[in-house]
Amino acid sequence: MRDYLIKRGASALVTLGLAIVLNFFLFRIMPGDPTRTVTGDFRITPEVRQALVHQFGLDQPLWVQFVLYVKNLLMGNLGVSFQYRGTAVISIIFGRRLFNTFILMGSSITVALIIGIVVGTIAAWKRESKFDVSTVIFSLVTYSMPVFWLGMLIILIFGYYLGSIPIAGTMTVGITYSNVLEYAADYLHHMTGPFVTLTISFIGYYFIIMRDSILDVFTEDYMLTAKAKGLSNRKILFRHAMRNATLPMVSVIAIEVTYLFGGATMTETVFSWYGIGRLIYEAVVMADFPVLQGVFVVMAVVVITANFCADIVYALLDPRIRY
Amino acid sequence: MTAQEQAALQVKEDRFWIYRRRLGDFWKLYRQSSLGKLGLGIVLFFVVVALVAPWIAPYDPFAFVGDPFLKPSLAHVFGTDQVGRDIFSRVIFGTRISLLVGLVASGITIVIGSVIGLVSGYLGGWPDNVLMRITDLFLILPSLPLMLIMAAILGKGITNIIIVIAVLDWTATARMVRSQTLSLKERPFTEASRAIGSTDLHTIARHIVPNVFPLVFANGMIAIVDAILSEAGLSFLGFGDPSAPSWGMVLHFADTAGATVNGYWWYIVPPGICIMLLVMGFAFISYSTDQILNPRLRRR
Repeated sequence: MRDYLIKRGASALVTLGLAIVLNFFLFRIMPGDPTRTVTGDFRITPEVRQALVHQFGLDQPLWVQFVLYVKNLLMGNLGVSFQYRGTAVISIIFGRRLFNTFILMGSSITVALIIGIVVGTIAAWKRESKFDVSTVIFSLVTYSMPVFWLGMLIILIFGYYLGSIPIAGTMTVGITYSNVLEYAADYLHHMTGPFVTLTISFIGYYFIIMRDSILDVFTEDYMLTAKAKGLSNRKILFRHAMRNATLPMVSVIAIEVTYLFGGATMTETVFSWYGIGRLIYEAVVMADFPVLQGVFVVMAVVVITANFCADIVYALLDPRIRY
Repeated sequence: MTAQEQAALQVKEDRFWIYRRRLGDFWKLYRQSSLGKLGLGIVLFFVVVALVAPWIAPYDPFAFVGDPFLKPSLAHVFGTDQVGRDIFSRVIFGTRISLLVGLVASGITIVIGSVIGLVSGYLGGWPDNVLMRITDLFLILPSLPLMLIMAAILGKGITNIIIVIAVLDWTATARMVRSQTLSLKERPFTEASRAIGSTDLHTIARHIVPNVFPLVFANGMIAIVDAILSEAGLSFLGFGDPSAPSWGMVLHFADTAGATVNGYWWYIVPPGICIMLLVMGFAFISYSTDQILNPRLRRR
């Protein structure tokens, strides 16, 4: 186990290192002045620019710039934002936005996962029944839908026609809350739209993986043993089949964290949810390169950590796994 | 013609018939899958629409032909947009761009992925290590945000969208081709080929590529799906080319016109349905092809 841990950890670090190298050079392949992406923007005052040129060694050779970039990165200095006129990137990312995205992603991933696992198990058990066929069709349809379009439909139906969800934002503008509960209620009310959108867009995927996984498990010998022992269907299904079939889901969740950033970018943009996804979109539109570079690093750290954790959990759950 | 040349020609001809027969066998199996036929039908439908767009579209997609925000009527089946352009015509012409970007981008994706996979799997050693590290990195990073960042750096336009998708979507193909190559490399026929002194290039081209190709094809359909969805997303966020509007672009204009909050459903629903159907079409084809190529899947 220790060797495995070290091996996985080293490989995660290498990937992270590559991500940082990529991030450094990606923002320097732009045509024109290579320093433009770091400081050269009219929205930043000359004094701040001077300080940045010094900090990131922008008047020095590329390799010195890279060394300084990594050094600054390790000290948590990600540069300053253009669109927010010199605010430190790190404080833009690690604030309300990260919290909002975390709540939205966390809740939808959890709900989608639970529904996906349970429905996938039942569908596989009742293979080719009406329930199975209709859930397969549902997941196919949601898979084929662009996430942003699903969001638009939900706004159209529930926001415009039924008037039951707010159309945009994280909370009602210009309102003062008398207590925390009222605040939470308003927050959750605003979250309904993006939450439902993200959940629906992910259920299908979880469902299909789970269904496949269960069908695989059904062919195993221990399923026959369980049946021969005279266990009830319920016990066979939930004790033996579901538990073993959930294993592949661990790595699926890690991969899904990667996809969630994409889904969140779309969903947060459609619903004007004040999170990291919308920040990416805004930064792209406003050509706020330091923010993009910062978000890239944070994203890389999150997904690489998630995958590393998944590897470890997987190995803990299944002792057969030793690469 | 010398006898040697004649023999070579004969071999070539034989090979042609072998491929021809294999294709025939494949089609026979494929025809039995109703999902596969449905998928093929949907895709062909959109291909035809794209080809004959100028003749079936009632209006010029760029011309101002009516008042803004007209409701659907006989004159304008899907109504008009914020500047009075016919939405139906725009959706028909959008087929061309969506299909084109999807096919071209995924085509490049498949080539990049296959080359990397073949080189990595066949050579092994440090080239494999380096290439797979890079693949891991691109596999693990969120593709849409990365595409957005690259699009911001490269600028707007169809060509840049294609580049961005192609550069970031090849990982799955590379992984699959690599693992296939690894197993094919150990088979007797590749060993025999090497034993009679064929060059690596010859072995790869003659013995490995033909065996990897069917899987690349099934995988390619999914690459097309990814490319279509990515293009729609990027265009929706405003990175498309206004002079070549795709379905995603139409939805981008719908969003900027506030179609959702004003209840202009006819502006939102048709382009989305088109994206969905086209994606489904390719997904069905991929599914049926997979079933034929992996007999294990059929049994279960």
